Amino acid sequence: MQYELRTQVIEPRRKTFTNLTERYGDRPATRYEEGSVDIQATANFHYRPLWDPSHEIYDPEYSALRLTDPYSFVDPRQFYYAPYVTARAHLHEAFAQTLAYLENRDLVERLPQGWKDLVAQAVIPLRHYESGGQLIGAYGCRFGYGTTITQCLSYASFDRVGNAQLLSRLGISLDGGSDGVLVSAKQAWMEDADLQPLRKFVELLLVEDDWAAQHVGLDLADQLLYGLLYTHLDETALLGGAGAYSLVAQHLSGWFTDNRRWVDALYAAWGRDPEHGAANKAELSALVARLLPGALEGALGVARIADRCLDAGAVAFVETRARALAAAFAPEES
Amino acid sequence: MAAPRKLSMKQRYAALTRDLDWDLSYVDEDKAYPYTSFEGIKIHDWSKWEDPFRLTIDAYMKYQAEKDKRLYAVLDSFAQGQGHLQLTDPSYLNAMKLFLQGVTPLEYQAHRNFAYLARFLNGPGPRFAALCQSQDELRHAQTEIHTLSNYNKYYQGMHSWQHQHDRVWYLSVPKSYFDDAVTAGPFEFLIAIGFSFEYLLTNLLFVPFMSGASFNGDLPTMTFGFSAQSDESRHMTLGLEAIKFMLEQDPDNVPIVQAWIDKWFWRGYRLLALVSQMLDYMLPRKVMSWKEAFELYFEEQMLGGLFPDLAYYGIKPPRHVEHAIAEKEILSHQVYWTLYQFSFAAGFTTTVPSEDAQKWLAEQYPQTFERLYKPLWDKASAVVDDGGRYFYQGLPQLCQVCQVPMLFTEPGDPTTICQRHTEFEGERYDFCSDGCQWIFEREPEKYVQAWLPVHQIYQGNCGGPTVPDVLAWYKLQPGDNGEIAGNVEQTAWEAWHATSSAEEQAPAPVAGN
Repeated sequence: MQYELRTQVIEPRRKTFTNLTERYGDRPATRYEEGSVDIQATANFHYRPLWDPSHEIYDPEYSALRLTDPYSFVDPRQFYYAPYVTARAHLHEAFAQTLAYLENRDLVERLPQGWKDLVAQAVIPLRHYESGGQLIGAYGCRFGYGTTITQCLSYASFDRVGNAQLLSRLGISLDGGSDGVLVSAKQAWMEDADLQPLRKFVELLLVEDDWAAQHVGLDLADQLLYGLLYTHLDETALLGGAGAYSLVAQHLSGWFTDNRRWVDALYAAWGRDPEHGAANKAELSALVARLLPGALEGALGVARIADRCLDAGAVAFVETRARALAAAFAPEES
Repeated sequence: MAAPRKLSMKQRYAALTRDLDWDLSYVDEDKAYPYTSFEGIKIHDWSKWEDPFRLTIDAYMKYQAEKDKRLYAVLDSFAQGQGHLQLTDPSYLNAMKLFLQGVTPLEYQAHRNFAYLARFLNGPGPRFAALCQSQDELRHAQTEIHTLSNYNKYYQGMHSWQHQHDRVWYLSVPKSYFDDAVTAGPFEFLIAIGFSFEYLLTNLLFVPFMSGASFNGDLPTMTFGFSAQSDESRHMTLGLEAIKFMLEQDPDNVPIVQAWIDKWFWRGYRLLALVSQMLDYMLPRKVMSWKEAFELYFEEQMLGGLFPDLAYYGIKPPRHVEHAIAEKEILSHQVYWTLYQFSFAAGFTTTVPSEDAQKWLAEQYPQTFERLYKPLWDKASAVVDDGGRYFYQGLPQLCQVCQVPMLFTEPGDPTTICQRHTEFEGERYDFCSDGCQWIFEREPEKYVQAWLPVHQIYQGNCGGPTVPDVLAWYKLQPGDNGEIAGNVEQTAWEAWHATSSAEEQAPAPVAGN
């Protein structure tokens, strides 16, 4: 049974804003579309930046990677602010529950020593890596072209602070509520020979002019590091009696899977662009060829620490993954 | 379980935020943060920045998700229940048209440029605060769009807001204002937007719109306003911390900051000219007069409250503030009278104020309304009575800096138009006021770049040589512009209300043109 409410019916004059009707035809638009598509100004800028008079305020020439229509890329997650914060509220709540569970049962404390060492020496220092990712996302948010792209970069930047805080909480927990592990992890980030290649890679990325180069470089390092720490070692943890590690890792690998959705969609949009597609592919290949060695060197350092702690085939994993990345982005045969 | 010296809340917050930063050693700090030296501001110790609020990401996400859930529930139920029929009058939406066309794009620009600060300020504390504000500003842009989206389905003037923001003559006032701020360096932006816009003038900009909404039956906008309030208070504390931080770091910063306050006060004040007429003329049910708002939110709270505190640092009230004070009796009347004559080319509608409205204006402005402005409306009414409508034939001259038409009068003489001009590199530039001329003369190389809509129309860059060409280029549709009386919105409104009071439940007719 259903009951029928009588309501006043008024035929709307239009279904959505004109720009969306022009793009997608006369259909209702989603909130994602209304809040994202064509939002950034594209014309009639009044002044040029005092700090960069060679560019307009928003300028596709801030990157070598271009889209004829920037809105040919849309976020597959359809994240505008409200669903974004809702999704991340769930992520952080779930992580807090995991951490509370681990703390209540002393499970972090009871991790096998090799795993404790891994967390303290290889995982927790990466909160600084995440913090570098924060800056890279913020840079892309300012200098990217088109709201659908810059919005993803903005959320990604904020996510990096979030991830850094997840790792920091784990570090605080590992030290029984104090910051001893964070302090030693920071010292390792600054001084440990095996972490210097990664730190150097991140610092050099920060001074790349092209926001897309920064973004691609970070993604290469992400694919190696997240693959290693939160997928490869997750399986090792389950086999090696370190279930607590897996419980933590699921939140970071879950984030990484979510983040990949828009990153891969952007690669696809760059590649299929009717005007710039070929040039974009060539540029991406060149970027990967130039940046992958640094990302690899950085990830190998982390893998060496992991192998010292656990002998988990980490170096071999990273090398294999890097070869796969190099192949995926190799220039097309002409 | 080992429990050595647990972190205090403050230590824990620092560990989760600014301790994530590290001193770069593979690249020079100057290369990684290249934009914090050219403005002349000296920062000796970035760690002295006091975090204006302490929010970790998990707390931020939780609060914001809960607020958005409540806001969108209101929007959905308003849409489902045809809540727009509860407005005092459809002409109220002129205020919201101006808001969507003029203010929402500024929220978006703030989002992008706070990301610039989130990347380029040297200290991790201010970078994180800026990143939070960048997120919030995106929230505001999007929640405003979603709040007004439902009105767009039934009313005119909102369908092409972003296209119009980049093109239409009166919208170059807000656009050039924010373009000016984002093209400045990071410290000037902090003073321009963080301090002047978000602190000094925020109550004059936002409160009139949100209170107007609550007085006129616009529940969604009022809900949006409440929902944005806690974000805005974080932004205000950031603005205040930013100015204190700069002033405390080095005495040499004081004159630089003072000049920015002088510039951005006047720049913001001229932008508020649009708000003044909205308060006094566009709202069917009045909230307060511009004069009253200016006295309360600016003279009392800022000149009386804030500036005495800033005097400790050697900061004086803004240059030209006496002109703003003197204009409070005349500003809104001059602006609306101009918009009345040019609304054929605008994304909103205007009309002669009703008898009741004129009575209210006379009470609010006993010194000026009946003597100076009522005679103008009497003349306009006479034209209407003869079956006509007075529109100005031609295009207004715009001020080179604020881009408002040259409608303001000489200080102390409300009947003589104020005109200032300066020669620069052989060209003559015109200004509406001493304030705008002073701003130009500090940075002429910047302001000669301005995209002045009227010049652009004359140069043929706006769709064609005739008025209909330009209006088509603006994407104006019938009913967006011109006179309120007899407009399609009014006709539709009457039809909807006639239907809702009738017994029959047949669908109401769609208003045609």
